[in-house]
Amino acid sequence: MATDVYTSGEPNRPESYGEANRDIIRVLLKPSVAYLALLAMSVATMLYGGWCWYQQIRWGMGVAHITHPTMWGVYIVTFVFWVGIGHAGTLISAILFLVRSRWRTGVYRASEAMTVFAVMTALLFPVLHLGRVWQNYWFFPYPNQRQLWMNFKSPLMWDVFAISTYFTVSAIFFYVGCVPDIAIFRDHSKGLVKRVYGLLSLGWRGTHRQWHHYMAAYGFFAALAAPLVLSVHSVVSWDFAMANTAGWHSTIFPPYFVAGAILSGCAMVISLLMPMTYAFGWQKYVNTWHFESLAKMCILTSAILTYAYSMEYFVGWYSQNPYEQAIFFWRADPSADYGWAFYLMVFCNCVAPAVWYFPAMRRNPWVLFIVAAIINVGMWMERFNIIVSSLAHNFDPATWWYYWPSWVEWGILAGSAGWFCTWFLLFCKTLPAVAITEIKEMIPPPVKGSLEGK
Amino acid sequence: MSATAVAAAPPVRIKAIYEHLDCLLTGIDRLKKAGIEGWTVMAPLPRHEIEEIIYEGRPSPVRWWTLTGGITGLTIGLLLTSLTAAQWPMILPGGKPVVALVPYAVVMFECTILGGALFTTLGAIVHCGLPGFFLDAAIQDPRVTDASFGIVFTHAPESDRQRITEILTGAGAVEVTTGDDTIYEVPNHA
Repeated sequence: MATDVYTSGEPNRPESYGEANRDIIRVLLKPSVAYLALLAMSVATMLYGGWCWYQQIRWGMGVAHITHPTMWGVYIVTFVFWVGIGHAGTLISAILFLVRSRWRTGVYRASEAMTVFAVMTALLFPVLHLGRVWQNYWFFPYPNQRQLWMNFKSPLMWDVFAISTYFTVSAIFFYVGCVPDIAIFRDHSKGLVKRVYGLLSLGWRGTHRQWHHYMAAYGFFAALAAPLVLSVHSVVSWDFAMANTAGWHSTIFPPYFVAGAILSGCAMVISLLMPMTYAFGWQKYVNTWHFESLAKMCILTSAILTYAYSMEYFVGWYSQNPYEQAIFFWRADPSADYGWAFYLMVFCNCVAPAVWYFPAMRRNPWVLFIVAAIINVGMWMERFNIIVSSLAHNFDPATWWYYWPSWVEWGILAGSAGWFCTWFLLFCKTLPAVAITEIKEMIPPPVKGSLEGK
Repeated sequence: MSATAVAAAPPVRIKAIYEHLDCLLTGIDRLKKAGIEGWTVMAPLPRHEIEEIIYEGRPSPVRWWTLTGGITGLTIGLLLTSLTAAQWPMILPGGKPVVALVPYAVVMFECTILGGALFTTLGAIVHCGLPGFFLDAAIQDPRVTDASFGIVFTHAPESDRQRITEILTGAGAVEVTTGDDTIYEVPNHA
């Protein structure tokens, strides 16, 4: 990562609309060896995860170490992790669109794609966790003949609605945003590729009528997606907070989870966009200005998380509830089963992001990349810490035990990362990973005289 | 040529390409002042100047689709939860209601957002005229998705051809073509 191209401040814009087209379309040309190697690694990891899942289907849930009392293990931890990753995309694409934030333009398309693929990954886990995958349709609300009616008072049912709505709205928002850019790809390609892009662009022509209604619809999509940023992870947090399990039953969970989700999502955007920017030579479109803005989002949400971690302990102590006190003190005991998980979480989510308080540190690409990776690890550990420690150390001491994931669970976790990376890598080479039309909106329009009075 | 023969002449396509936004706006303005209708503007990006001169502040009807979708979603969310519970009227301890609106608010909220988004998509498809595969071939020009602007007439009266061409050229069009010459393919960049 050369630092000479790593300038701060708003990046230099392309000089013309045509230049913006050519810069982004260039990425679609023949893939490099490094790209193909990364794709092969991702596919191989995904296939390994699939093979581990096959083992679970063939031999039963016994190959995973989830058992009483830790009935929720790596699968639910990873489910919450991927849902959280998806948050930053909608935050950047919807909320920052509504507040007209300028730094959003360069990074929002890749962030939206990340959201869609992260939620696709998260959606695998309830099915994986179910064991009997052929009965996964039981998740959905339908009046059936077995008298098994859905209980809409259950937070798990709310979660089905929240995640499926989030995925649908995010996917629509992502695709609608891509349509005019896919039309550009169509007009710059030939043969079968042109036909495929032609179909995907829905025959977009860029007429005044299309732009008028499209922009209105896009604004409404942003307004509809914005409350989902706050609601989805709040609903996920209620999966825990509505239970009376010590360490879960807390009213601070919704804001605590939302802040954590935005922290992990912004860190993941840095992790994905940093190598992409250098590999594709997009410093003209994404530079320190964007990464620094993302780092500032991380600092804010890390501070909120640090406060939430402290408040959990304060509330545990102040409540004088012996079970609450016991679980929180046990979590923080370095010699206890999961003491290492607690301190790793605190280091990754509270201590490591603090280096970004120094401007030089949040402008250094290596520091940005490494700290973002640390946050990603920390956010997975946070969910592990919350879910596993509370279940493994529940009310009845006779049931306490030490949960450690089996090789099948680790394999499926790795496979989910492979699945996510495969989708993201395919997206980079087939769809506009930088929003061409919105980049054009930031370029002064070509004029012969003046736009005064027009 | 008799008046009947002129009226029977088939309509023609006319396309003007502009490289500058101010010239395009001048062209639109002059067409409006001349009372000529039936034109379509093509642009590589949404520009508020174009929207203002054409729509003069009139909002898109897509908003009504969003509102209808939101209300429909909310209603479905309310009915799905309440009627499901009413079909299974368990006697709950502590006097808790069978139809409990507070927990159902979550499902109702999600259905409202989902309904709003789906109806907005439908509204955008209807009003944008998508899929646009069957639009006149002249209303597609690779130069427009690249960097230029355009004004297209797909059915201009033959009698107005001269007048329209003069207006479009006078506004600063870099190219004005008529008939089948309006269908254009640029060399491939890929």
